[in-house]
Amino acid sequence: MWRLGRSWDLEHVLAETWFASRPFSHLVIDDFAPNEVLADLLAVVDEEPVDRRESDLFAFDATAPEPTTSELRALRDQFAATLAPALTRITGKLVTRVDMRAYAYRPGHYLLPHSDHQDGLHRVLAYAYYLPSPEPPVGGELELFRCRLENGAIAATDCAQLIEPRANRLVVFDVSDVSLHQVREVTAGLRISLAGWFHA
Amino acid sequence: MTRLEELFAPRIAVIVPDAIGSALAADLRARFERTGYTRYTLLDRGSYDELRDPGELEPMAALIAVTTEITERSLVLAEARVLQLVPGDYLLAHHDRVHDEHHIELILDLSPALVPNAAVHYRRDGDVYFEVPSRPCALSIVAREPSVTCNHVYVSKLHLDARVVRLVLLLRDA
Repeated sequence: MWRLGRSWDLEHVLAETWFASRPFSHLVIDDFAPNEVLADLLAVVDEEPVDRRESDLFAFDATAPEPTTSELRALRDQFAATLAPALTRITGKLVTRVDMRAYAYRPGHYLLPHSDHQDGLHRVLAYAYYLPSPEPPVGGELELFRCRLENGAIAATDCAQLIEPRANRLVVFDVSDVSLHQVREVTAGLRISLAGWFHA
Repeated sequence: MTRLEELFAPRIAVIVPDAIGSALAADLRARFERTGYTRYTLLDRGSYDELRDPGELEPMAALIAVTTEITERSLVLAEARVLQLVPGDYLLAHHDRVHDEHHIELILDLSPALVPNAAVHYRRDGDVYFEVPSRPCALSIVAREPSVTCNHVYVSKLHLDARVVRLVLLLRDA
C-alpha cells in the first residue's frame, strides 16, 4: 500500500530540509499515501485490537508492540521496505527495520515530553503517520522542544515547533538525547496514527 | 534498613479524609498566593508551580501528631513545600528523588474543588500500588522507601478551571 510520491524524487531537497530543520532534524510529508489506499489502511488498523495504555508519561489507546494480525505485520514490513532505503540516503543514518503500532488518542489522552532515546533500544529515527479520522481531533499536535544543555543535562526547554496531526501526513524525526517532544492533549475528536521507530 | 528489614517493615499508606476544614484550606491557599510560587519548567521532568519552605503553618503540628500516632514513630518535620498544578501540569516519576532516609511523606490536599483524575501515584517497580485521589482537605500518609517513586498525574485541559494545591511534608525520625 505504501508508495513514495513525487516529492521523494528530490532526495537532495529532503536532505537539505532534514539538516536545516529545527529544533532538531525532522521532515513533514503531506499526502504521503495514495488517496485510494487510505480506506484499506484504516481497515487494517480497525482489525487490530487496542487497549488503554497509561503511565505517568502517557494515556492513550494503542495496539500491542508486536502486531497480532498478519495484515498489520505486512503493512509494517512494507513500510520499512519502502521508506528505509530513502531515509538512509536522506538522513545519512542507516535504518533497515521498523516498529509499528496504531494509536487512538481520544479526549483527555496525551503523551508528555520525552526524547525517545533509551540506551540499548537503538532507535534511530521516530515517525508518526496520521490517518483520516471520522472526527478530526482538536489538539493532539506533535510539539518539538528546543533544549539547552548544561553538563550534558537538559537545563532549559521551550516550544519550537507545532505539527498538526493532519490526515495522510507523515512526520519523521531524529532520535537523540535532545529530541524532546510531546503529543499535546486531545480535547475533542479522535486522533488516529501509526507510529514507531526505525532501527539500524 | 537492610533489604530484608525493608521487605517485612509495615508499609504505611493511608488517607485521612477531612483532615482540616475548607476555611483553613482557603486561608492557606491565599497565604501561598501572597508569598508567590516559582514556576518549574524543565518539561522532561515536570510542569508546575512550587513554593519551597512555606514557613510555619497552623495545621503542621496537628498533622505531625496524627502521623506520629498512626506510624507509632516519633517524627519531626524535615522538609515542606507546596505544589500547585493547573491544566496541562504534571510531575513525572523520574523527577522524584530517591528516598533512602525512610521518611514519611504527607500530602495535604488544599485544592478548592475535586479535580477528576488528578491523583498522586505511588509506584513500586513502575506499578502503582497506592493512589491518592483528588479529595480536598484529605491527608495522605505514605512511608517512603528507596524502591518507591511518586508522580503527580497530568491535570487535563478538559477541566479548564482546575487548580490542584498540595502541601507536601517530609517527616523524619526525631
